[in-house]
Formats: sequence, C-alpha cells, structure tokens
Amino acid sequence: MDDLPEEVQELIEELDEAAEDEDEDTIKELTQKLLETGADVEAITLKKLSILVMDGEEEMTRGWTEVAIQIGIDPFKTLIEGLAAGMSLIGKKYEQGEAFVPQLLIASAAMYSGMDLLAPYMKQDENSNSKPVTVVIGTVEGDVHDIGKSLVKTLLSANGFNCVDLGNDVPASRFIEAAKENKATAISMSTLMTTTMAEMPKVLNLLENEGIRDKLLVMVGGAPITAGYAAQIGANVSPHDAASAATWLKESIVNFPSESVRWD
Amino acid sequence: MVSEMTSKERVLAMLDRKPVDRVPVMTGSAMVKEYIEKSGSSWPDYHCDAEMMVNTVSLMHTDAGLDNIVLPFGMFIESAALGLEVKMGRIDIQPSVRSFFSKPEEVNYDNFLENKYVKTTLEAIKLSKEKYPDAAITAFLVAPITLTGDLMGAENLSMLSIKCLQKEKQMQKMQDWLSKALEINRIYAEACVEAGADILYYSDASASPNLVMPEFYYQVAVPAEKEIGDFVHHLGCPWELHICGDTVPIIEGMASTGADCLSVEQAVNMKEATKIAGDVPIVGNVTPLLMVEGTEEQIIDETRKGLDSGAKGSMLGCGTPPLSTSDRIRTWVKAAADWSAENL
Ligand code: B12
Ligand SMILES: [Zn+2]
Repeated sequence: MDDLPEEVQELIEELDEAAEDEDEDTIKELTQKLLETGADVEAITLKKLSILVMDGEEEMTRGWTEVAIQIGIDPFKTLIEGLAAGMSLIGKKYEQGEAFVPQLLIASAAMYSGMDLLAPYMKQDENSNSKPVTVVIGTVEGDVHDIGKSLVKTLLSANGFNCVDLGNDVPASRFIEAAKENKATAISMSTLMTTTMAEMPKVLNLLENEGIRDKLLVMVGGAPITAGYAAQIGANVSPHDAASAATWLKESIVNFPSESVRWD
Repeated sequence: MVSEMTSKERVLAMLDRKPVDRVPVMTGSAMVKEYIEKSGSSWPDYHCDAEMMVNTVSLMHTDAGLDNIVLPFGMFIESAALGLEVKMGRIDIQPSVRSFFSKPEEVNYDNFLENKYVKTTLEAIKLSKEKYPDAAITAFLVAPITLTGDLMGAENLSMLSIKCLQKEKQMQKMQDWLSKALEINRIYAEACVEAGADILYYSDASASPNLVMPEFYYQVAVPAEKEIGDFVHHLGCPWELHICGDTVPIIEGMASTGADCLSVEQAVNMKEATKIAGDVPIVGNVTPLLMVEGTEEQIIDETRKGLDSGAKGSMLGCGTPPLSTSDRIRTWVKAAADWSAENL
C-alpha cells in the first residue's frame, strides 16, 4: 500500500479513523472520494480487510466491510480474499510459533464481525453448484474446554467449510445424529483432558456400528491428542493445530467422493 | 547427610532452600478414583463432606507416601461460592465452572466464607492438620489471573489480555476484574491460613502462554501474583505457584513473584527452567498420564530426569489424574527416594 499516491493514502487513513469511530456517514463519504481518485479500490479494500482481521481490529474490519459492500465487491470474494485471508495469515503465524492464542481469538472476532455484515448479501446466491462441504464439530462429552474447538471452527469456516457446531460436552450419539442429518463430510472432535479422551473411540465405534464410517473423515485434536492416538482409535488424522486442520481437510476432500455419492 | 525428616519438615525445608533428607514428592489436585473408593467416599458428597475429603486425600500420604496432603479436589470452589454455575462432573471428572459474569459489578463475595464448599475446605484443612501433623497440609487455590478468567470467562480473558496491552481503556477494564479476583483471593487465603494450612498452592492455569501472551504475564499477572503472594507471606505462610503449558518464556517472571517454589509441567525443559529460575526451587514435571498407563520403567525414567535436571521436588505436571493407580504412584515415590539415596 506504500506505493499508492499520497492523496489515496490519506483517504485510507481517514477511513481507518472513521471506521474506528464507527462513523457510517463519513465512511460512505470517504469511500465515494476514494472511488473518485481512480485507484483500484477493490484491491485496496480486500488487502485492508485481510490485514485488519489479522491484527484483530474488530471496528475497523466492520468499517472496511461496509466499504466493500458499498463499492459492490462480490460478498463471497470479500469473505474469501479479505476476511478469511486475514484469518489464514494469523493462523500461519500461530502455526510457526509467531503468534499466540489471544491473537487468534481477536482475529476470529474481527472476521465474524465482518461476516455478520455480509450475511444478508450472501443468501441470494444459492444457485452455485459449489455447495460448501459440511463438518460436524464439537468437544466430547464430559469436557467443557471449547476455545480450541472454536478456533478450529473459525479456521475451517475461513477456508470455506460449513461448520455445524455442537458446542462442548457433546454426547457421542449427538455427533452421529448430526453427521447423518447434515450429510457431513467430516467430524472434528476436541478434548483437552486425558480423562475424556476415551470419548473419541466411542464416536468412532458408533460410526462403525452404523456402517457409516467410510462416509466421513474424522479429525481428532486437543492438547493431549497425538497422531499415534488418532491412529490407534481409527481416526483419519490429528493435525497438530487449528490451522493445519483446515489445510489437511482441504487437501483430503480433493480425492474424497462427493456428498451425493456417499450419502445417497 | 541430613537426618530423617517428617514429610512436613521435608517440604518446608525445600521451600526454605535448605538441605533435605530426600527430595519431597508432592501433588497438586488429588481426586483419585481408587482412593475415593478405597476410603468409602461417594460422589459427589466428597466435595462437601470434610471427613470424606480428608479420608480420601490422606491416602496419597499414608498409602502412597507423598509428602503433602492437598485439599480441596478441584478448582471450582471460588466460583461456586460466588454463585456461578458448576457442573459436578463424575467420580473421574472434576467439576467445572459453566457460567460467568458480564460485569465486575455483578461479582458479590459478601458471604464467601459461608459457602458449603469453602466451609468444607476449611474444615478439611483443620481436620487433616489434627490427624496428620507430620504431612504438609496444602490448600489448593485458584490464582488471580485464573480466577479473573472464571469471573469473566476464559475466552474473554484471553482476548482482553491482548487488548489491554494496546489500549488504556481496556487495561482499566482488566484491572477492574482483576481487583475483584484479588479481593476474593485475600479473603480465602486468610481463612485457609487461619484454619492451619502449612502451604498455599496457587494454580494460575490461565496465566499460561497457552492462553495469554508472555507480555501480559509480565505486565499484569506478575504484579497480581506478587500482590497475593506478599499477602500470604504476611500471614506467615509459604506459597507455591503452578502455571500450565511451556512456561519457559515466563519462568523469569514467575521467579520474581516471590513464590517459595514454582511448579511446572512436562511441556517444560526442566534444565532450562531451573537455570533461569536461579535459586528459586522448581518442582515437577512428571507426565501425569504415566500414573494411569505408564510402565515402571517410564515412571522411573521421567522422575529421575526431572531431578537430574535440577528439580528440587518431584511433582506430576498438572495434578494427579483421577484414574491413577496406587501402584504407579508408589513406583513414582520410590523412584524419587532412590534418586535421593544416590544423589543427596
Ligand atoms: C482455559 C482453561 C479452562 C477454562 C475453559 C474455558 C473454555 N470455554 O474453554 C475453564 C476454566 C472452564 C476450565 C475448566 C477446567 N479445566 Co481447564 N484449562 C484451561 C487452560 C488454562 C487453557 C486451555 C485453552 O483454552 N487453551 C487454548 C486453546 C486454543 O488450545 P487447545 O484447546 O489445545 O486448542 C488448540 C489445539 O489443541 C488444536 N485443537 C483443538 N481441538 C482440535 C481438534 C482438531 C480436530 C484439531 C486438528 C486440532 C484441535 O487447535 C487449537 C489451536 O491450534 C488449560 C491449561 C493450559 N494453560 O493449557 C487448562 C486445562 C486444560 N484444564 C484442566 C482441567 C483439569 C480443568 C478442570 C477439570 C478444572 C480444574 N482444573 O480443576 C475443568 C474442566 C472440567 C470439565 N469437565 O471440562 C487441565 C487438564 C488436565 C488434563 N490433561 O487432563 C489443564 C491442562 C490445566 C489444569 N491442570 O488445570 N479450564
Ligand atoms: Zn497445570
């Protein structure tokens, strides 16, 4: 952004301030002025959004999402190339040990606050055939730790997955019901306690008993869960954090039979 | 060679940085199913019946040979006494706090000491002190940052912990919550010392780099822990500080709180930690799960490794898992004794 003309840079700064103050009228006015400069406002806005989400700037993310709406960027593009791109950026930093959990959480809050503004514009677009892949997600029964689970959900959502969030303290049978109801592609289970790890194989056994194990990919995770444990209980994988969970699932669904083939 | 000590003398000497006859073996929370059953206690009564509580936890000392007796079983007492919703768990799952407040003004601790769980803890301290004068009676308490997390919700704490470093207004908010937690900490600490606790063991699980940034730890958590720690010292009682996760980035801060000893878990490189902490004793850092499914060899190896790396006492990472078996706990205690016989 540094190589933009001074006039454009100044307008961007003023927009930041208006967004921070949640001053909608000024945001509208400044957006109009920015368009009049002839700059590539779409590119600027997407770039801005990704950085603001990465930095966890909730108010400014909302303000710039309004800019995106005003200038008519396709809401899906705003989501994927702006908001979610920012979430992935901070996710990568976390994966490399350069960011901490609170940074992921404020980035997640920023992303969702932008998504809320986009939501009303996204509904009409249901004709597309790229239906999002559904993941049933939750923390196992007996365990209330759900911060990590919610981060996995955030990063999956940021990567275009549709998450059915069952919350925490979820009985094994709920995972199965929800997977069937939603014709899910994957189940993601979390636990942070050694005492509740044994809930995970219960879910896998139920899947086997119901004869639907091969319709689904199963990811397990949380501090005490290792790749070895995942293999032992017959889960597909245990990526080591929320960001790699999303990466793994994206790669895995490429060669996985589509929903209609599996469930119908 | 130091002549034989009682368990209590041994732990207090370690905290006092004096020589010991053998390194102390200590625990944090000790809700062990086998001992609950062996002592004839029943769920969930043992959480609010002092006699049951003491009968159960004392087996860690009398049967397994640990040097301390730790009460209560979990980190929900403070929250329960403030009226937050608590789910009681199971015989093998500790109770958990299920609700939080939306503003600091909602926190009311006027009748804190009247709560049945608080009363049980205090009675149990008295009772265990009477029955087991030779053990180090240890009160297991929720430290200020973790209590703040219980008051406002752990996720909110994590988010505020970064915002408060960026904006003065957010820092004010943080301090408003934290001062409530400290006030509650003081009331409870005073009552525990009065009841006869030899040591206060503070777990600041949520001050961990797993949940908040090290910058926050140094700027906000250290002064808070120091504040309650100084208060405890004024009451004439030593205190221990436990923080979960890989605490190497914050060990220097932990050592500066004035805690008489630091407890760390298996994610920590003990050699590095003891080097940074200097003369502040560190205890740890045996993997708790070994007490459930470890082999004798694994238990002995990890116990020795911690002590070889400079730990001044052997402790399980984050408390004794409910499904621990007494034979494994005894193997661990013996490993520490054998190491001491060879090395002290
Ligand atoms: C915050 C916290 C709480 C909060 C939880 C709030 C909430 N809404 O989640 C509260 C205060 C309620 C709580 C309660 C309890 N806690 Co607690 N808690 C913690 C703490 C401090 C941080 C956990 C956390 O959120 N980390 C941050 C998140 C982001 O990490 P994460 O969940 O691991 O997720 C990451 C990865 O694991 C991964 N991941 C997670 N899920 C998945 C899933 C998949 C598929 C994949 C691929 C990846 C993945 O992605 C995430 C990001 O990369 C830890 C100690 C510590 N410092 O670690 C103890 C800790 C987990 N708690 C513990 C315990 C024992 C309890 C209690 C029993 C109370 C107690 N201590 O007495 C109760 C639980 C009761 C119950 N029945 O559930 C123990 C667990 C011991 C064990 N190993 O068995 C710990 C280790 C500390 C301790 N000794 O007290 N706790
Ligand atoms: Zn811990």
